[in-house]
Amino acid sequence: MHDLLPHISESLSHVFGSIRYFVPEVYLTLLFIIVLITDLIFGKRSAQLCRTIACAGLVLIMFKDLQQIALVVDGEHFIFSNMLLVSRIGIFFKLSIDVLSFVLLLYFTWDNKLNAHQKGLSDLYSITIASILGLHLMVMAVNLLSIYLAIELVSLASYLMVAYRTENAFSTEAGLKYVLFGAASSAIMLYGISLLYGFSGSLDIVFQSSIAQLSKVNPISSSFAVILVLIGIGFKLSFVPVHFWVPDVYQGASTPITAYLSTVPKIAAFALLTNFLPPFMLASSWRGFDIGIILSAVGIVTMIAGNFAAVMQSNVKRMLAYSSIGHTGFALMAVVVLTLQGVSAITYYLLVYSAANIGALALASYFTNETGAEEVEHYRGLGLKYPIASVCFVIILISLTGLPVTAGFTGKLFVFSAVYAVYQQTHNIWLMLLMITGALTTVVSLFYYLKIPLNLFLKRKEMPEISGIKSMNLLILSIIVSFMLILLGIFPDFVLRYL
Amino acid sequence: MNILTILLLVPVLFGLIIILTPSSLRASFKYITLLATLIQLGISIWMYLHFKTGAAYGGINHEDQYQFVQKLPWISLNLGSAGKMQIDYFIGVDGMSIALLVMTSLVMVIATLSSWEIKSNLKGFFLLFLLLDMAVIGVFCALDFFLFYLFYELMLLPLYFLIGMWGGARREYAAIKFFLYTLFGSVFMMLVMVGLYLSVTDPATGNHTFNIIQMMNPANYSAQSVFSIAGHQTILGMPARTVGFVVLFIAFAIKVPVVPLHTWLPDAHVEAPTPVSIILAGVLLKIGGYGIIRICLGIFPEVATTGAFWLGQLGVISILYGAFNALAQKDLKRMIAYSSVSHMGFVLLGIASQTAEGISGAMMQMVSHGFLSTMLFFLVGVLYNRVHDRGINHFRGLSTLMPKYTAFVMIAFFASLGLPGFSAFVAEAFTLAGTFRSSSVNGLVPYWMAVCGSLGILLSAAYFLWTLQRMFFGPESLKGGDVWKIALTDLNLREKLTLAPLAIIAIALGVMPSLVFEKINDSVLSLIQFLQLK
Repeated sequence: MHDLLPHISESLSHVFGSIRYFVPEVYLTLLFIIVLITDLIFGKRSAQLCRTIACAGLVLIMFKDLQQIALVVDGEHFIFSNMLLVSRIGIFFKLSIDVLSFVLLLYFTWDNKLNAHQKGLSDLYSITIASILGLHLMVMAVNLLSIYLAIELVSLASYLMVAYRTENAFSTEAGLKYVLFGAASSAIMLYGISLLYGFSGSLDIVFQSSIAQLSKVNPISSSFAVILVLIGIGFKLSFVPVHFWVPDVYQGASTPITAYLSTVPKIAAFALLTNFLPPFMLASSWRGFDIGIILSAVGIVTMIAGNFAAVMQSNVKRMLAYSSIGHTGFALMAVVVLTLQGVSAITYYLLVYSAANIGALALASYFTNETGAEEVEHYRGLGLKYPIASVCFVIILISLTGLPVTAGFTGKLFVFSAVYAVYQQTHNIWLMLLMITGALTTVVSLFYYLKIPLNLFLKRKEMPEISGIKSMNLLILSIIVSFMLILLGIFPDFVLRYL
Repeated sequence: MNILTILLLVPVLFGLIIILTPSSLRASFKYITLLATLIQLGISIWMYLHFKTGAAYGGINHEDQYQFVQKLPWISLNLGSAGKMQIDYFIGVDGMSIALLVMTSLVMVIATLSSWEIKSNLKGFFLLFLLLDMAVIGVFCALDFFLFYLFYELMLLPLYFLIGMWGGARREYAAIKFFLYTLFGSVFMMLVMVGLYLSVTDPATGNHTFNIIQMMNPANYSAQSVFSIAGHQTILGMPARTVGFVVLFIAFAIKVPVVPLHTWLPDAHVEAPTPVSIILAGVLLKIGGYGIIRICLGIFPEVATTGAFWLGQLGVISILYGAFNALAQKDLKRMIAYSSVSHMGFVLLGIASQTAEGISGAMMQMVSHGFLSTMLFFLVGVLYNRVHDRGINHFRGLSTLMPKYTAFVMIAFFASLGLPGFSAFVAEAFTLAGTFRSSSVNGLVPYWMAVCGSLGILLSAAYFLWTLQRMFFGPESLKGGDVWKIALTDLNLREKLTLAPLAIIAIALGVMPSLVFEKINDSVLSLIQFLQLK
């Protein structure tokens, strides 16, 4: 005990020194408390107030994120005794999470079904802020313990969000399924973490020394442990084979919640993956299986399974759920190469995918609000009644497919170039297979994405005159998203030059 | 401002005007579009007249020999270790593109004139039409692969909606089939494009570049790169450059279309409304041929030479298969669609021969077929608009009922079947001459292919003349009886004004082929020289 005394002051000063790298998260914590208290004090009528506070707070946090860039000009910093990592790319991940969450917070009340919830939405705002805090931690986590805590924080918040409004047996089932799957995958991940800790004697997994320790155990056991942890992360990413919860949950949850779940946690999980993987993939002392091959195989299977399953769907949200699985597979391609270019390609790809997915789901909300349409079939002939929304839908879906002139195309192009650049040096056959699958599934994805324009415009149906547009906000949101997608399609360097 | 940029911006500008014009003035949309296409035609004719010829303007692999060039830096990204990504807004024309550009502009005017038949949703139709117009012009001007690909893909969406919303009974099927086929080709083209971009560095700046002309110079490939000639790299066990060529060729062959990748074409043509059929046959098929010449031959010349036999083979199969199918068709539009497959086979055969005659013939065939297929589809549209039927055996003795119409049909048919004095004759004669000469000059294409090509001409005479005899001659007999007889009025002024220039061009190009040859000759010679050097 006495031996440790001299270290206390050093540790404390290290902790205090770390705080200045932790400002956005501190503000997020404060924001969470403020929103929670506002909800408690003002009760049921507080929804509007909570929303204002949450949104204003997020703007402040984005500003704080930007200020952090000045702190990383001299390189990455490990803070809180190597628990968290502040890096330039991490800040961009956080910034995109915050920007997208801001849009999503605004979007919550615009969905009539969610807004009609009798309990009000005030709780939802505090849950969302807590979840954003978890996402921030996920982006920064480099220690097994902090990884686990961050994922759990996000998971708990997500469980609440999914089950926030359960209108029928289907969504109740979806909520329960999500909790069960989530709990199981957390347990698996925790098992993997404990194995890794046992093998290496350290929770600081990103350091060479712990990898060197790992290399002393049987490679099969250490690989097994890593795979267990990957399953836990994969649950958030929804890659095959841990994707089973996705279609039901996305379909069952309220549309804005689906938009939330399908975008920001994915960005955070990919950020986590780019922190977690390098020691296993790049370190020469790693003796286990080639994680790159495992991820490539997972990526290929995920692309194929997600895209082909989406072809068979008739519910719009379910189709988008499967398509988001396909997009995860595509993004995994860039994770496999894990170069600087790969990481910046993945940041851009995810940002563009998330924007487009939020736009698509906002339009799904829009059509549900206006006409009650939920199935693709119900969109029949709506294109001529709601021309602006339908044209935006087409642009957004084209971006999701990855055709020019939209940001989705440039995103795909950058991922392909990142992978190709590595292929050119290594001639790794898996990379070629990944690219071929990526190209093939793009064609498949066109087939189901086009079902929506097909029904909107090509199929005809007589219907009564519409009585004015009710969801103006959603329409404006989707117009902005489509405009951004085209703008980034023509001038991708607006964003890319910073990545 | 650069004239090509203006040419590209005209449709965008008029598209904006249409967006801003309220729907109550929807009758004016077709005039706005017509004005746009006429301005384009004027610009392209001006360019044609000011296009300089001579050995110093050959183009192909010499960047300084292109004309009306504009090159602006567009996307420039620092990719760290991988160097800088350099994408330019780089447009320009050489002999190959100028001929097709003028042809396209004229076909667009005709297509607009035939859009008079469109009655529903005019705003959407003309907006998509102008977007498509911009994209096809862009494809013929772009000299940066990224830009080329952008325009190439940009054509798909407007076409999907144009076929799908204004098409016939099976329009949904035809539209999605067309879209999927073309996209299948082009996503793999994207992979090759990325591979090429990472292989090639611009000697001036040292960056990786998408510049097509730099891709033609073997010295610009870094030794370790996938597509380096000296590197002999492999992809999945096959030589990388062969894979690259084949992938690009398939993408363009789908567009041409080459048998067996042609099955989207009859469906798309039959279901599309007349203006879209005209654009499809008149312009889009040429993009395939143009792409093969500019990109496949330009970037992978040595593979094109070793594979010339197979290209010729596919060309011959397309010629014969298309012709036999055309003979068997009962629907007039389908018959013409298959005749397109057959005629576009000559383009491939001419390219495969790699002789000056062959490639000139292929270019001429593209220009000539552009005008003739436009005329043919317009003529089918005339008939279909009146009675909503196109069955060949549902009509008989139309010549007494519609004498002027019959006269134009006869011009179009005789021109298409290669009667001397018309443009197609010159084109096919040159192609076959090149094919015959090939075995003695470079030994790429055997004699029998030329013989089979000639057989194709014979077959085309058979199906055109047989159709003419069945539909227009003999005693008058119509499936629809007297109702049809009243509906089948002869051509009106608009239709005559549309058809007359096409007929004149068909004859003019037949009598004075130098109108085209003079402009393309330097580029053709330059291409041959380039192919021999490799």
